[in-house]
Parts: sequence; C-alpha cells; structure tokens
Amino acid sequence: MSGERLLLVDDEPQLIRALRPALGAAGYEVTTAESGQAALLQMAREPTDVVILDLGLPDLDGKEVIRRIREWSDVPILVLSARDLESEKIAALDLGADDFVNKPVGVGELLARIRAALRGRERRFASHAHLKSGELEINFASREVTLEGDDVRLTPREYDLVRTLARHAGRVVTHKQLIAAVWGPEANVDAQFVRVLVGQVRTKLEADSGSPKILLTEPGIGYRLRAED
Amino acid sequence: MTSPKLKDVKGPWRYLAALGVVMAATLIAELLYRVLETTRLSMIFLAGVLVAAVWLGSGPAYVAAAAAFLIYNFYLVDPRFTLTFGSAEDVIVLAVFLIVAMLTGSLAGRVRDEARRAQDRARTTAALLEASRAFGASIGEEAVRERLATHLAEAAKGEAVIWDGSRALTHPAGVAPPADLIADVEAPADSVLTIAGGDWRARPLRAGDERLGVAAWRPLGPEAPEAEEASLMDVLVDLGAGALVRARLSEGQAEIQALARTEQLRNALLSSISHDLRTPLAAILASASSLKEFGGQFPPEVRDDLLATITEEAERLNLFVANLLDMTKLDGGALQVDSSPFSVREVIDRLTTRLTRRLGARRLVTQMGVGGLIARGDPVLLEQALSNVLENAIRFSPDGSEIAISVQGGASVRIEVTDAGPGVPEAELDLIFEKFYRAAHAAKHSQGTGLGLSIARGLTEAMGGAVNARPRADAPGLVVALRLPGEAAA
Repeated sequence: MSGERLLLVDDEPQLIRALRPALGAAGYEVTTAESGQAALLQMAREPTDVVILDLGLPDLDGKEVIRRIREWSDVPILVLSARDLESEKIAALDLGADDFVNKPVGVGELLARIRAALRGRERRFASHAHLKSGELEINFASREVTLEGDDVRLTPREYDLVRTLARHAGRVVTHKQLIAAVWGPEANVDAQFVRVLVGQVRTKLEADSGSPKILLTEPGIGYRLRAED
Repeated sequence: MTSPKLKDVKGPWRYLAALGVVMAATLIAELLYRVLETTRLSMIFLAGVLVAAVWLGSGPAYVAAAAAFLIYNFYLVDPRFTLTFGSAEDVIVLAVFLIVAMLTGSLAGRVRDEARRAQDRARTTAALLEASRAFGASIGEEAVRERLATHLAEAAKGEAVIWDGSRALTHPAGVAPPADLIADVEAPADSVLTIAGGDWRARPLRAGDERLGVAAWRPLGPEAPEAEEASLMDVLVDLGAGALVRARLSEGQAEIQALARTEQLRNALLSSISHDLRTPLAAILASASSLKEFGGQFPPEVRDDLLATITEEAERLNLFVANLLDMTKLDGGALQVDSSPFSVREVIDRLTTRLTRRLGARRLVTQMGVGGLIARGDPVLLEQALSNVLENAIRFSPDGSEIAISVQGGASVRIEVTDAGPGVPEAELDLIFEKFYRAAHAAKHSQGTGLGLSIARGLTEAMGGAVNARPRADAPGLVVALRLPGEAAA
C-alpha cells in the first residue's frame, strides 16, 4: 500500500515541514498546498489518493474545498481541525469528509487515520463481506456478529448501527449519518436516540461499557468503531 | 349660534356690515325704481337680507331684516317717505323678512360651523400626522421628549413641559414647570388633570403599566383650545408615550447588539489565541512524534530540520506566552521597568541573530547611525517591543523582499523598521496599535493575534518612549518608528 499519493493542505509552512518527512518515510508520495485554490488545482493536475485538509485556509473555507472536491471525486478526505470547533467538523463530515484529526496530532495517530481512510476507499471498490477488529468479527453476508468467537445477539436496529460503524471502521460517523442509516434518511430522530442505542450495543460488545474500547465516542460529533486489524 | 370666528368680518363690525348690505340693496332698489318706475321691489331687500344672513350669520341678519323692512316701508311703500303700519301687506313683508333672516342665518351658521369643524379636524389630523412623523424620525428617548414638548406647545398655542421622573424638559426653553407636576405621575393613565390654579393641564405619559413621566401644557393668549383640541392634546401625549416606549426598546436592542459585538470580539480573541498556541504545538508534536517513529530512517539533515522546527516553534510559543503575560501586566500596570542607559546597537545585534531563521527568503538590512546610540530604559523590554515590530514586518513582507532597521541617536534614539508588505491605509495607521486590531487585508494572513504592535507600543510607552506608523514613501510598505529617551554616550 505504499506509493499512494497524499495531498497535504495547510497554510502553516512549519507544520508541512514537520509532517512531510514522516509521511514520506511511511511510504506516501507527498504533495502540499498552502491554500484551497492551490489544493483544487493540484488535484485537477495529478491523481490523488488521500487529502489531508486543514479547515482554516486563507482563501477558501475548508468546507467549500470539500464541497468542490466532492462534486467530482470521492477521494478520502481527512480533515485537520482544532478540537474546539465541533460544528465545523460535523459540517465537514456531513459534506463528505471521511474523518477528522484534532490538531495538534502525533504522526502515529495521523498515519493510522490515513490508513483507515484509504481502507474505506478500498472497501468501496471490493465486496468486503467480513470485518475483523480485535476480538470482534462481523459477517455482513450472514449478518453474524461474534465476540471472541461467541455469537452476539443484536436487534435489527442495533445490527444496523454496528454495520454502519463497521463499514466506516476506524473513521468517525456523525450522529446525522447514523440516524440516516438506522432510522432512514427522512427520520426525525434526536441524537439522544443514537446515544441510547449505542449504550445498548456497548453492553453487548464491551467488557466494560463505562470505558468502551470498541465502540468509541467522538464527543459532540458521533461514534467510531475501532479500526480493522 | 354665531361663531366668534367669521372669516372676514368680526364682532360689532358684522352689524355695520349688515347695515351696509341693506344700504346696497336700497341703492339697487333706487336704481330699479328710477329705470322701471315700479315700487314692487321688496324682493331686492329680501335678497339683501339673504346675503346678510349667509355672509354674516343670524344676529346681523335680524338687524338687516329690521333695517330692510324700515327702509322699504319708508322709501318705497306708498305713501313714500313715511312709515306706515297699516296694511296687512306690511305685516307680511316684515314677517317674511324676519323668517328669511332667521332660517337662512341659522342654516348658514350651521354650514359655517361644519366647515370650521372640518377644518379643525383636518388641522388635528395634520398635527397628529406631523407629530407621529416627528416621533418616528427621533432617535432616543430624549429626542422624542423634545419633539413631544414642541408639538404640545404648538397645539396648545402656549407652553409645554415633559417631566421624565427626574427632570423637566420645556418648550419653549426656560419655562418654569408647575410645582405639583411630579405628584401627578401617580395619576391614572387616561386622566387629564388641571393643576396650578386651572392654568396648566397635565396627562401622564404611560404605555401599559410603564410610567414614563407626565406631559403638561398651558395655553397662552386669548383663544383657549376647544373640546376637540383638548382631545388632540390627549392623543398627542399618548402618541408620545408610544414613541417613548419604542425608543426605549430600540435602545435596549442597541445595548444587546453592543453586547453581542463584545461577545464576538471575545470569541475572535479566544480563537485567535488558541490558533496561535496550537500552531506551534502542532508543529512540535508532529516533529517530535516523527522523530520518535521514524528517527532511524531519516537522514541526518531531516532529523536536524525537525529538531530545529521543535526549537523554533517552542521559542515562538514562549514568545507568545510572554506577550500574553506582558499584555496582562501592561493592562494591570504591574510591569517592572528598569530605567538605565543601554546600547541599542547591542539589542539590535541580539535580535537580528535570533530572527535569522524566521526571515526565510527575506533580507534584513540594518543601518546604524553614528555615535554610541545609548538609550535610557530597559534593554529586555526594547528587545521584546522590537521583536514584535519585526515579526509583524516579516509576516507581511513577501519572500525576496527587504526589511530595513535604521537607528539614529541624539537627544532621543529613533529606531525605524521598514517593511515591504502591502502597507496600511492612512485611516487605519493609528488603529494598528490597538489591541486585537488587524487591518482588513491582514485577514488572509492567518498568523498573528493583533497583539504584537499593541505590546510594542505598551512596552515602549512604559519606558517613556513613543511609537507611531507611517506609510513607506518609496514603495508600498509600512514604517514603524520607536522613539526612546536618549542618553549622552558614556
């Protein structure tokens, strides 16, 4: 999986300088852009496998960049954003960004997120009937969920939730996206319902549902299933 | 009955006018008598009575009827030039004259009264319209009260006072308000009170349960307002009260908006500070974790570069934190200022060395004046003030451009930093030293908190110096000049 082209969009030169060597060492071919326009131009010029996008760009709003990319490309987009801007992150994710990373971020976490984003793209092209994340295994064809080899009995709604998160394993799924997947896109359902459903699933999947290890909360944004092995 | 306000003829003159009309009728009768040689001219006198009744009202009409009868009888009825009261015809003529005078006079009077009332109504409507327009155009309670006083005084043809609970506003200015005005604030909203011996009338200014004060007015001159005008005053006062409430509401809204702006400013400051703290942290964390994960794989120059990034960004973070602390100290007045002679040259040497890496592809040129260049103050504070000015210059100057520092000594030491940035519009030159101010075009440079220059000014002023900015003369750009008290070279 090396040699994938990665576009790093950030207007802070020192951050690009700091990230570039590690991304290169991890086997990515890194190009950079310091503005939204430059990023769009670069994408039009060369095929890109994953975009890391800072939301605070000098020329275009990062959300606008996502919207324009999504008009013609489904390249994985990883949003880099400050921790305190939940609404910005949710808007970016709902516009089609694949995931977000809080700034500041260590390269270890960033690389893991890049891998998850790329795998999500692979899954879109391959018929992926099976997911294994630690002791959790899901067979999408037979709708079977097992934990350490034991069957887990889920209600249809619980299964829909787990399946949606598993399809995006390692990436965040917003409340809005979960509601659309579980209750239907037209459903008028509060985020509180998602919380309750997640609580039910956790009692079945987590050893300690008070400190979840598999179904993780992204406060204010949504949930994330632990990444695939 | 007859109105005191006839359009053309007033008071006793109306009766004289009535006699004039009869005289005119007599003249016409005389003329016709001579031409037609007929004495059957009672109709001419009847016409005179009619004219007098329509024009002058009932009273003069009776006078005209009597006069017309007498003249007609004396002058035309045979035997001529004698008064005869014999025939039934005489009685009929007199009766007809009197009846015509009575009917026409009262009819005409009624028509005139109607016309006058319509005029009054039109005047009232116009006055109210004018007042409501004036209230609508007034901004603030004070202006509304002034307008209300003006319109009340005009409508009352006298003077007016608006009491707002603490002070009186009068029209015309300088009118002494009645003594017991304040007591009437407590009166029910729909009442009109007569105060101060019947001269002044007052009405509370209220909207709903809210007490907004009292309006009082006093007609001056002979013509007291009639009932309709009294109700005009009431409506005016109530209109004013409504306008006051509206003004109060819009003032409240302005306050809320100001509060929202403060909140906005605070949010901008917070996000600016968090951005400035986070950016170096992100670079440090990325560099350090890169070294940890891939340190072995990196060639030595990449490792050095990452380490340099960590050092620089940590320094930048430190500078930013120091700036924030200085700002709070400057605001709180707790800054310790050393005041001793020091070499500006040394400060600038230290600074240029420290900033070399920050310059990137820009050049820094220093021009030192002759002499010792000794200033009085605190070298540490000057270094910090200057480094803020230079950081700002670097931020706005493009790659490949030149930033110049020039120093001139003397009674005061003058340090000028000239950048090659876009410059600052003349109108904003003073504002750039305000806390959190960022020029409109600076928005695209996402770095910078808008603190740097204000700290530079605060520090320089704390040392008894001054800072100002001017546009660069030869090219786009900004010149920031710091002046410090000088010290004769030791």
